[in-house]
Amino acid sequence: MINHVESPIIEIHDLTVSYDQSPVLWNVDLSLPSGKLIGILGPNGAGKSTLIKAIMGLVSPSGGYVKLFDKSLEEVRSRISYVPQRESVDWNFPASVLDVVLMGTYGKLGLFKRPGKKEKELAMECLEKVGMHGFAKRQISELSGGQQQRVFIARSLAQNADLYLMDEPFAGVDMATETAIFELLKQMTAEGKTVVVVHHDIYSAVNYFDWFIMLNLHLVASGPKETVITEELLRKTYGGKLNLLTKVSELIRQKEFNPLKN
Amino acid sequence: MSDFLYFFTFQDSSIAFVVIGIILLGVGSAYVGTYSFLDKKALLGDAISHAVLPGICLGFILAGTKNPVYIVSGAFFSGALATFLTSWLRKNTRLSEDAIIASILSIFFGFGIVLLTVIQKSGNPEMAGLNQFIFGNAIAILEEDLWVYGGLAVFIILSLSIFQKEFSLLVFNAEYGKAIGYPMGLIRLIFNVLMILSVVIGIQAIGVVLMAALLITPGAAARFWTDKLGNLVILAGIFSAVSGVMGTYISFILPQMPTGPWVVVFLSFLALISFLFAPKRGVLSRFISRRSYLKKTHQDHLLKALYRALEAGKENLSIEEIYEAYPFQKKESDRSIDNLISNGLIIKNQSIISLTPKGKSESKRIVRLHRLWELYLNEYMNIAPDHVHDSAEKLEHILTPELEELLENRLNYPKLDPHQETIPRDHDEL
Repeated sequence: MINHVESPIIEIHDLTVSYDQSPVLWNVDLSLPSGKLIGILGPNGAGKSTLIKAIMGLVSPSGGYVKLFDKSLEEVRSRISYVPQRESVDWNFPASVLDVVLMGTYGKLGLFKRPGKKEKELAMECLEKVGMHGFAKRQISELSGGQQQRVFIARSLAQNADLYLMDEPFAGVDMATETAIFELLKQMTAEGKTVVVVHHDIYSAVNYFDWFIMLNLHLVASGPKETVITEELLRKTYGGKLNLLTKVSELIRQKEFNPLKN
Repeated sequence: MSDFLYFFTFQDSSIAFVVIGIILLGVGSAYVGTYSFLDKKALLGDAISHAVLPGICLGFILAGTKNPVYIVSGAFFSGALATFLTSWLRKNTRLSEDAIIASILSIFFGFGIVLLTVIQKSGNPEMAGLNQFIFGNAIAILEEDLWVYGGLAVFIILSLSIFQKEFSLLVFNAEYGKAIGYPMGLIRLIFNVLMILSVVIGIQAIGVVLMAALLITPGAAARFWTDKLGNLVILAGIFSAVSGVMGTYISFILPQMPTGPWVVVFLSFLALISFLFAPKRGVLSRFISRRSYLKKTHQDHLLKALYRALEAGKENLSIEEIYEAYPFQKKESDRSIDNLISNGLIIKNQSIISLTPKGKSESKRIVRLHRLWELYLNEYMNIAPDHVHDSAEKLEHILTPELEELLENRLNYPKLDPHQETIPRDHDEL
C-alpha cells in the first residue's frame, strides 16, 4: 500500500542503507506530500531513524537516492531542519539553553561569524514558542528530559525551515509536554510547513499524524491515515521481523564485500 | 629566598622569556585539552604525545643538530601519522578504540626509544640533552626555540578563539553540524591539527611522557568549579599557566630537576584541591550537604514522634522517651532538640518537650507528606499497605510544596492513609 503523490516534497527512490554491510533498509521507494504532519512508524530496529538520517545525508546509502523539493540535498539544505534523538548528545556539556538554541542560527550565519543580537532575539522567540523562555540562562545539564526535547525543537525552529525531520521528539517526555509539542507541530503544518516525525507509540500516532510511513526493514506502507491504518498493514509492520529478510542480511554480512553497493 | 626573588622579579631576561613561553604553551594546551576532555577523547592526547618521540628523533637525525624547525616538523608528522592511523583503524577494523590507542601509543613510543638509543650510540656531540624531550626541561630552552614554541602557542590560542562556535558544535553535536551543512570532517581535522601542535610545542618544556597531563588535567580540574564553557576555558588556562611557571621555577632552583614531572605535581595538587573543595561538586561540599540533610531528617523524625504522641492524646514527651525511641543516638537527639528549640518549633520545660504552634504545623506537614505518599504508592502503584512505609520515610523530607499540591489533587484531598490513619491538614484540631 504505497501512495505516490504529484510534486512531492520528499522523493525517495529505491533507497537501500547498510551498516557494517548488513542492510537495515531495503529498497524504500516513496514520495511525500507537503504541508502534512507525517509519522514514521515501526518496531525497534525497523530503520526509522536510519531513514531520516539517510534523507539528511548523515548516512550514505548503498543504493538509490533522495530528492528534496525536487532538488538535491545540497541545493536546499537551508530549507530543511533536523532534530536528532535527545540521547545522541551529552547533556553535561557546559552550555546554556540559549547557547544550544543559537546553534539553529549557525546554518545561515556560516562559518566564523558569531551570533549577534538579531540571532539572540530569534532564539528567544523560538524558546517562547516551546514555552521555555524562562530557561534561557539555565545550564542544559539541569533540564529534565521533556525540557531537553523542547530545547532541541526550539533550536530547529530557529532554522526557519520549510521541512522538519524529527527523530523521536516524543521519547521520554511527560504527557503535558507531548501534547504541547504536538500542538506546536500541528500549528507548523497549518502554516504550510511539512513535519516528518519518527514515533514509536502506535496508539497516540493514530491521533497525531495525517500521513504514515510504516517500516519494518522495508517499506510496508506510505499513505494517508485512512488508507494505511488497517489491521493487515499494522500486523505486517509490527508482526515480528521478516525471517527471510533477516537471513539474507546475515548472509550479506558474512561476505567480505557488500554486493548491494552500486 | 633570594632564588625566589631572582626568578619571580624576572631580572634575568632569559627567565622572563621562559616564563612567558611556558604560560603561552600552558594556556594553549589547556585550551585545546579542555575541548578534547569534553569530547571524551582524553586518551587520544596521551597517544599523540607519546607518538611524537620517533618524529623528534628522525628530525634530529636529518638535521644533525637540535634544530627546532626539524624537530617540530618531525614531531608534528609522527603525531599526525598516529592520529590518522587511530581513526583509520577504527573505521576499517573491528578493534575497539581503547585497544587501538594503547597499541599506537606503545608502538610509536617504543620505536622512538629505539631511535633515541641509536642516536646516543652514534656519538654525535650534539645529542646531549635529547633525553630532555622525555621529561622536559623548560630552563634549558634556548631563546630562538622559544620563538618557535611561543609563536605556535599564540597560533593555537587564536585559532581556537576563531573556531569556538564550530568546535563547540563538534563536541556537543557533530551530527547536527553536518545536518546544517557545516564541513564537520574538516573542522575535526583542524581540531586534530591544533591538538597535535599543542603537544609538539610542549615537548621540550614538559616532555612527551607527561604532555597529556597538561592537556587534560587543567580542564578536568576546572570542570569542578564551573558549568560555563567560557569560564571553564579561562580557569583551565590559569591552572595550567600557574603549574607551568611553578614547575619551571623548580627546574631553575634544582638544575637537575626535569620540568614535566613538577608541572604535573602542581597540576595534580590543583586538581586535588578542586576535587575536594569546589563548591557543589567537591567532596567536602557534598559531604556537608549530606550531613545537613541527615540532621534535618533526624529533626523531622523527632517532630513526627511528638506529633504521634499528640495523636495518642499525650501533650508532650519526656526526654527519656525520646532517647529510648532513638537508642545509640543520644548526642544527635540532643543536638536536634537544641536546633528545634532555637527554630521555635518545640519548647523544653525541664525534661518535658512539647510542640509550639509553629512546630505543630511543621510536624503536621511532615506527617501529611508521609501519609500522602503512602496512599499514592498504594492507590496508583498497587503496592501493598505494609510495603509503603520505608519509601515514605525517605521521601517525606524532600517532597516539595508543588508535589504536595499535585499529590493532594491526584488523590482528591484524601482523609485517610492506607493504614487508616488521618492525613492531617493545617486547620485540623487535635
